[in-house]
Amino acid sequence: MSPYVLTIVSLSLLTGTSVTLISNHWLTAWMGLEINTLAIIPLMTYPHHTRNTESAIKYFMTQATASMLLMFSIIYNASFTNQWTINHSPNQWASLLMTLALAMKLGLAPFHFWVPEVTQGIPLLSGMMLLTWQKIAPISIMYQISPSLNMQVLMTLSILSTLLGGWGGLNQTHLRKMLAYSSIAHMGWMTIIIIIYPTLTMLNLLIYFTTTITMFLMFNHSSMTKINSLSTLWNKSTPITIIIMLTLLSLGGLPPLTGFMPKWLILQELISYKNMPLATALALSALLNLFFYMRIIYLSTLTMAPSINNSKMQWTLLPPKTLTLIPTLTMISLLFLPLTPMFIVLT
Amino acid sequence: MICIGSTMALLYKLLNGIYFPKLCRKQDAARSFLLGPLFAGHPSRLYSSIKKPETDSGRSSPEGKTQGGLEKQAENNELSLELISPEEKIEVNFDKAIKDEIKYHFKLLKKELIDHWKGPEGRPYHEVLLENARVMWQFRSNEDLDKWLVTSDKMIGGKSKAFLKMANNNQSALFYGILNTELPHDGETKQSGYCAVTSKIPRGAFERKKYYDWSNFNTLYLRVRGDGRPWMVNIKTDTDLIHKSHLLHSYFMFTRGGPYWQEVKIPFSKFFFSNKGRIQDRQHQLLTDQISSIGFTLADKVNGPFYLEIDFIGVFHDPAHTEEFAYEKNKRISQILDS
Repeated sequence: MSPYVLTIVSLSLLTGTSVTLISNHWLTAWMGLEINTLAIIPLMTYPHHTRNTESAIKYFMTQATASMLLMFSIIYNASFTNQWTINHSPNQWASLLMTLALAMKLGLAPFHFWVPEVTQGIPLLSGMMLLTWQKIAPISIMYQISPSLNMQVLMTLSILSTLLGGWGGLNQTHLRKMLAYSSIAHMGWMTIIIIIYPTLTMLNLLIYFTTTITMFLMFNHSSMTKINSLSTLWNKSTPITIIIMLTLLSLGGLPPLTGFMPKWLILQELISYKNMPLATALALSALLNLFFYMRIIYLSTLTMAPSINNSKMQWTLLPPKTLTLIPTLTMISLLFLPLTPMFIVLT
Repeated sequence: MICIGSTMALLYKLLNGIYFPKLCRKQDAARSFLLGPLFAGHPSRLYSSIKKPETDSGRSSPEGKTQGGLEKQAENNELSLELISPEEKIEVNFDKAIKDEIKYHFKLLKKELIDHWKGPEGRPYHEVLLENARVMWQFRSNEDLDKWLVTSDKMIGGKSKAFLKMANNNQSALFYGILNTELPHDGETKQSGYCAVTSKIPRGAFERKKYYDWSNFNTLYLRVRGDGRPWMVNIKTDTDLIHKSHLLHSYFMFTRGGPYWQEVKIPFSKFFFSNKGRIQDRQHQLLTDQISSIGFTLADKVNGPFYLEIDFIGVFHDPAHTEEFAYEKNKRISQILDS
């Protein structure tokens, strides 16, 4: 892609998210979401392929529908309350429509069908932007209107997301689809706590970002899109194999890795609100995700797949791509659990 | 979502006339007008599976020569005309049709859910990952022929004929017919003369489109016996967009025409991209994770009979073949085309 185009697209993405983050007016927040949607389309369609274009079209249609619903809810709310500021509690029905619109934007179940299809059709780095950067703006709006969100609706969406995210990823052989289903499940975890303790949502989002970006960068470094290619990764780069294993365990929420922190705090918060069934359901649904992460670990690290002899010495060759950011992100996604008290104080 | 899907599936089935003995033109008009845009990629049953009607041997039997035999023949002829008298009532049970369809689709859905638990495509995970070769289609019975569609330029008014039947000993399928390049007299068509046999798009519960995942394989394997003519192998990928339904990846298959079987291996990297039969300037590789259908087309502009006998169609992984895409490797040209 031309560096000028890349600069404009990147700046647009940054602008869109920033506008939504800093805005107090519904229209400017909506405008930021639209800028975000449009700015990522060129990133998704490069390099040109019919699959990329189809994924971009599907993404655009879904996001446009969600934006339309959001705009309708904003105008509906304004017609009843005469208020355009986000801080002001919206009307009950407007709040419901906003929840559904933002759920569609985030890919929460039952509006999650576009996430794996779109992620599978675009390059790895574009998929990384889709599953990380594009979540910031809708989550920030949800954070601001969290006091007025309907608890029952949000609980239903969250539980469905965690269950369907785990169920859908069970028998995937494509890494991008697996990470898409992982994203759906993590969104479920984030939204379930947003009413009770919104800052935990932000903490969960931050840790999810570090682990997911680490995974995508490692897959991109070795140009892996299928689970089969992981089985011969130890030939090419043994350290990457180990990091993938540990990062996946962190993404699954196993102690003593960083990924355990948000899950632990969320479960603790739910239990303190006497919501044992919900906490149990969430913990059990996390096992589904952990199962397919363990499957990747089993294939990449714990077993030796059949391979031909001349592919066994590839680790002696220098890798063509550099490991920018991977070491830093790996440290954050693996070793930050002891800093939990600091995160609690800061949030 | 499921209710909408089931309603659409039922409407489609009813308009196809499962429980009506005759297909009338009104149903076609209704189907094409109401549901045509919705069912892109789902071809009409009227233009499919044209099979050669079984004809009598023409030999006179000793029985036919007697008076009784002639009377029997006359009766048989009357019965074989399949005329339904106006006094007979055609039994139409709408409720039964709906109930049976709903039951059938929910059974399929249950099977899909159980298969999802078992593994990818209903097979154990380790089996899918360690798989090196798979036979996708083989022709051993008439049920295998039902998974294929025969098309020709008859759809646009041409005069080619194409048929598909089981060959001798039910060990292969025979696609045969007569290619005719004569243009239809409509003043619009400039080219004619093609015959094709294409696999049907796999369908799941509620007529949802499914696809084949061939990402573990890199080569197509065909065991065929042709007539020396050049055929085109076409692969379509799954798409949800109607305007992309004409996108194809194709490659040539040159048959030898001899009495011996031919084993054709075509790597997926060799398939080139075309739209409505025209090769595109901007080429890209065939992504094998969402394959919708495969087909064989004959359009070599030579009038005359043709035949292609197919034993099986499979895919396998060739570890010696590491090429990703055979065309447009010149970065400069790719950059110009991309800009």
